[in-house]
Amino acid sequence: MVKNNRSFKIQKLLKQNETYLFLVIITYSIFITSLNSSFLSLENLFDLGKSSAGMGIMAIGVFIVLLSGGIDISFTAIAISGQYIAANVLIASGVDNIFFAFLISCLVGVALGAINGLLISYFKIPTLITTLGTASVFHGALLTIVGTKAINSAQLPDCFKAFGAKNLLILTKPNGINYGLSIFIIIFILLALLTWLILKYTMLGRGIYAIGGDIDSAERSGFNIAKIQFFIYCYVGFLAGIAGVLHISLIRYSNPTYIVGTELSVIAAVVLGGTRITGGSGTIIGTIMGVAMVTILNNSLILVGLSSYWQNFFVGLIIIISVSITSYQSKRSIGNIVFRR
Amino acid sequence: MVEKLEKLLAVKDISKSYVGVQALDRVSLSINRGEIHCLVGENGSGKSTLIKIISGVVKPDEGEIIINGKRFQSLHAIDSISEGIQVIYQDLSLFPNLSIAENISLNQMIERKKRFISWKEIKNIAEREFSNISKELDLDEKVENISIANKQLVAICRALTQDAQLIIMDEPTTAITKREIDCLFSVILDLKKRGISTLFVSHKLSEVLQISNKVTVIRDGKLVGVYNTEGLDHNTLSFYMSGKKIVDSVLDYREKEGQKEPLLEVKNLSKKGNFQDINFKVCSGEIVGITGILGSGRTEIALSLFGLNRPDSGEIYIDGKLAKIKSPQDAIELGLSYLPEDRLNQGLFIKQSIGNNIVVTILQRLLNRFKLFDNSKKYEAAKEWIEELNVITPSLETAAQALSGGNQQRVVIAKWLATDPKVFILNGPTVGIDVASKSNIHNIIKGLANKGMGVIIISDEIPEIIWNCNRIIVIREGRIVKKLNTNEVTEDKLLDILARKSN
Ligand SMILES: Nc1ncnc2c1ncn2[C@@H]1O[C@H](COP(=O)(O)OP(=O)(O)OP(=O)(O)O)[C@@H](O)[C@H]1O
Ligand SMILES: [Mg+2]
Repeated sequence: MVKNNRSFKIQKLLKQNETYLFLVIITYSIFITSLNSSFLSLENLFDLGKSSAGMGIMAIGVFIVLLSGGIDISFTAIAISGQYIAANVLIASGVDNIFFAFLISCLVGVALGAINGLLISYFKIPTLITTLGTASVFHGALLTIVGTKAINSAQLPDCFKAFGAKNLLILTKPNGINYGLSIFIIIFILLALLTWLILKYTMLGRGIYAIGGDIDSAERSGFNIAKIQFFIYCYVGFLAGIAGVLHISLIRYSNPTYIVGTELSVIAAVVLGGTRITGGSGTIIGTIMGVAMVTILNNSLILVGLSSYWQNFFVGLIIIISVSITSYQSKRSIGNIVFRR
Repeated sequence: MVEKLEKLLAVKDISKSYVGVQALDRVSLSINRGEIHCLVGENGSGKSTLIKIISGVVKPDEGEIIINGKRFQSLHAIDSISEGIQVIYQDLSLFPNLSIAENISLNQMIERKKRFISWKEIKNIAEREFSNISKELDLDEKVENISIANKQLVAICRALTQDAQLIIMDEPTTAITKREIDCLFSVILDLKKRGISTLFVSHKLSEVLQISNKVTVIRDGKLVGVYNTEGLDHNTLSFYMSGKKIVDSVLDYREKEGQKEPLLEVKNLSKKGNFQDINFKVCSGEIVGITGILGSGRTEIALSLFGLNRPDSGEIYIDGKLAKIKSPQDAIELGLSYLPEDRLNQGLFIKQSIGNNIVVTILQRLLNRFKLFDNSKKYEAAKEWIEELNVITPSLETAAQALSGGNQQRVVIAKWLATDPKVFILNGPTVGIDVASKSNIHNIIKGLANKGMGVIIISDEIPEIIWNCNRIIVIREGRIVKKLNTNEVTEDKLLDILARKSN
């Protein structure tokens, strides 16, 4: 069975979901560019990157949860809670500092994530039930306790606007207009990198894979399941907190009913990226590509002139198609094992 | 070598009862260093329970446990592991989504309280342990993609990384084939040379006699005795286990007069990579044996008949009529039943009651005239089969997971028998079943055939095929290489054919 090493590598590559997704993204991008040549411009790509960074960060959180064999529905409620509370605190206290905003938003995120983590790890409530419940508890609490009033651009502390406009690399188009690489994209890349490091090089990260693979075996091996699960949901909260601040800085406006309702497209992106919905398998690169695919799809629908209602339709379609493909593939491979016995 | 004489493990007068069952009653067991020790007994005699006690998973009601000269008042799983006792559970407790290397090394990393992972170290540990076992496997392969036998080797390697002194295996040979068993045994002998003891449970007495130094026999939770393997033979051992002499009878098959059509006829069935040009018939009252080594295609054929592996070409006739079998539902409606090889995973709802498990295949028949579920019908149907197959259980409401391994198997058999099939396909019908019950089950199968059912037994246990079948089909590399009438062959001849020595 020792084959030519190179052909072996290519075979392995062909088996990976990411390879196909990558090809699909490229083909689709070229297709859209042929309809609208501005699509594949650097400016548009930077723009897409900036507007989808928040979703990407939430997707990283969802990715980890799915990897561990769980699911989280409440991260959007956490993100908006972090955002809205942070904005209100900044306004009330008069401190106009973006780091302070991040601090508050992340603290809120981790605290709410910890509630999920506690219910799941300590009380052993199924993850879907827990987060379905807490999603509406968190959001309900935000609306009744903190308020329902939107914060408009004029009321918004300046630090958000400055942060939203911050570019790290500024380029000039032939017609003299400037555009640049937003700091959002850098934050997203750093968080993806951090997550990758945790998953690949820490015992905690391997524990996440292990409990997603077989939770009973993980327990017998001596992993502290409760601790790992607690970490996962706190981390998701932390990421949601960051995503909340990016979102408000992007649209320069805060409405406590925003973000909630997008959880499905985030989950869709992660599943599209090849993460198994039953846990144990998936990559961060795949997740990033999944987010890219969903973003490009949404963006191109607008370019082609379809209404935003179609987006929901397509996102749903994506979930169904990508889950069917992965489950068909895994069925086939399970089948093969049964047959070989 | 003074060390060699020293006792590694001694348990004395262990008792354990569950609600309604005395699983163990003052049983003792001792194991020396470098000893290969077998634990045998009928289904439900308490073997698995004893192992769980030694590994600290179950607390005994009474008795003492001494490991490496240390007496343990109450033994926890952690103590047992740190004293070098490693249990390889039947489900192997591996992570299917991780690589072989990681599966081998991860436990050691956890034990050493590592916070960060060095992939080089993982690879090194895995390579070191695996090279001892000398197996050509890609250490980067995911465990979900390798065979059961290789998974076992991975589990053994993992145990060795944690300085195992004693490796305990509960029925490790039920799901693997002859060649893989030989490989496993050579590994065990190798461990012996390194001073590592093995305790293992098996119902295949020939294996026990082949590999072990000592045998402990228990019956109904009581110790029968400890014997040196030299001086034991198959008959004495099975007598010790069951307390009675077991007589096997041969199938008495006479072709029925005036039988028009075979119950099942398979014509030119082929599936690429699985099997090719398979032709055979099963008539009423016949027991046809299909045998062949692992990977020969025997299971694939059965799965195709049962609608779980769609063939590329060929026809299946039932009662002379062309049958389209696209799913197990189709197969069941046409009168086929299939007892899968891997019963614990494919055949049982482990958390459900025994009663529910048995009737799950015949729910339609248990409806009353309002089309509602009739509980008393269910009770009767389930009870009938429990008695017929001698399932030892406190009640019908007991969860299937509380049964001993062998009794779980019987529940699966009962569940398929309940469908009252025309043709019953049994894949390895008696793996994991003790000698006495084995002949019991064989008799049941023969009884069914005598009443007119057509039976296919798939097995690589030659005696099982010879004693029960009237015709034998030998499969090799997906093709039928030989069709025989049982009265034309002997065990040795069949073994030769299987091993490709003659044709
Ligand atoms: N968790 C449990 N609850 C109730 N009864 C149990 C439980 N575990 C085992 N038993 C009972 O204890 C007895 C001994 O079971 P055990 O599993 O030790 O048998 P065994 O010797 O391993 O049998 P087999 O060869 O069939 O695997 C059986 O009667 C079984 O029903
Ligand atoms: Mg057992």
